[in-house]
Amino acid sequence: MRAAVRVGWRILGGFLAGLALWLALSRPYERVLAMGAEFLIRAFESPATTRLEARPGEFVVTRSDWPPASPSPGLPADDLHFNFVLLVALFAAGDKIWRSGRVAAFGVACGVLFLVHLTALVFEVHAVYATRLGAWSQTHYGPVARNFWAAGYHFYVIAGRFAAPFAIWWPLRGEGSEGETRGAGWRRRRNARKNR
Amino acid sequence: MSSHADSAARRRSLLFIARFLALLLVLYFAVASHPGNDRIIVPFTALIARVSGTLLRWIGEPVTVVGTEIRSSSFSVQIENGCNGVETALLFGSAVLAFPASWKRRLLGLALGFVAIQLLNLVRVVSLFWIGAHHPTLFTQSHTVIWQSIVVLWGVLLFLLWAKPPSREAATQA
Repeated sequence: MRAAVRVGWRILGGFLAGLALWLALSRPYERVLAMGAEFLIRAFESPATTRLEARPGEFVVTRSDWPPASPSPGLPADDLHFNFVLLVALFAAGDKIWRSGRVAAFGVACGVLFLVHLTALVFEVHAVYATRLGAWSQTHYGPVARNFWAAGYHFYVIAGRFAAPFAIWWPLRGEGSEGETRGAGWRRRRNARKNR
Repeated sequence: MSSHADSAARRRSLLFIARFLALLLVLYFAVASHPGNDRIIVPFTALIARVSGTLLRWIGEPVTVVGTEIRSSSFSVQIENGCNGVETALLFGSAVLAFPASWKRRLLGLALGFVAIQLLNLVRVVSLFWIGAHHPTLFTQSHTVIWQSIVVLWGVLLFLLWAKPPSREAATQA
């Protein structure tokens, strides 16, 4: 029970540290994300018309083939990447978090999470194109494409954004985490029991 | 020898995550499909709204509940997927089912974990309504970042507690 309380405190400390980092770095991070997602979307567009602009708290989508007066959809940014706070909290759950291997693992985890955010933003933009623009959506996206982009983004919103930090952290958490469980220790003891 | 053990542990870890993600996808489609959503999720969310409404009235908030919506004269919230604790329950359930354990232990974990997640989620709904009614400027960040993170981390902590071998077993092995 004491170990659980210790992990709880570590997670809380990590959560607060992650929150501070997230608040400090969100806006520059959103600019990088917007550039990356715009590059990916345009790479598969012909002609390349999508523009993504990071404004405080949102990504604004425009296209050069839309009439200038048409409204530009704004996509909430915090919802997309706040799970960075979860990732920091999970890495803080282990002991000796400043060991070089752990820091490197955290760096790798941040890189993977960035790729998840990029993918989610690409899905979100296509989900908007496919479902929210009335006749334009119907003309440019068939039923399969509409379901693919919309369901992909919905999965991220409902489950993916919460699962991603856990799925990234688990294989990288290293030995000695309080989360070290039946994966290794339990099997070692079970084998020892069998051998007795 | 050690690197062999390390690579075996890494393989088990990755297998666990693969099973976890596959189960999450299956459970997601079960609750996101029309029958699952209409027959289970919406009535369950309405139940959460009713219980939250009762708790809010206990602490002096004059609220009414209509379906999945909680209303007062100054504020109202619609409880949707993402606010009903189901997303954390899916995460927790997928992790428990993907983890190597007996079915008895899994079922016990699922039942107790679900209750523990829902209890914290009730605190979330009640506190968010109170924040929205009395400190509306704090609502968005409290809703998006603070409470969502806390509930998910609670789910992960419950999973870690469940997955740890019982101390009695560890003592026997020591």
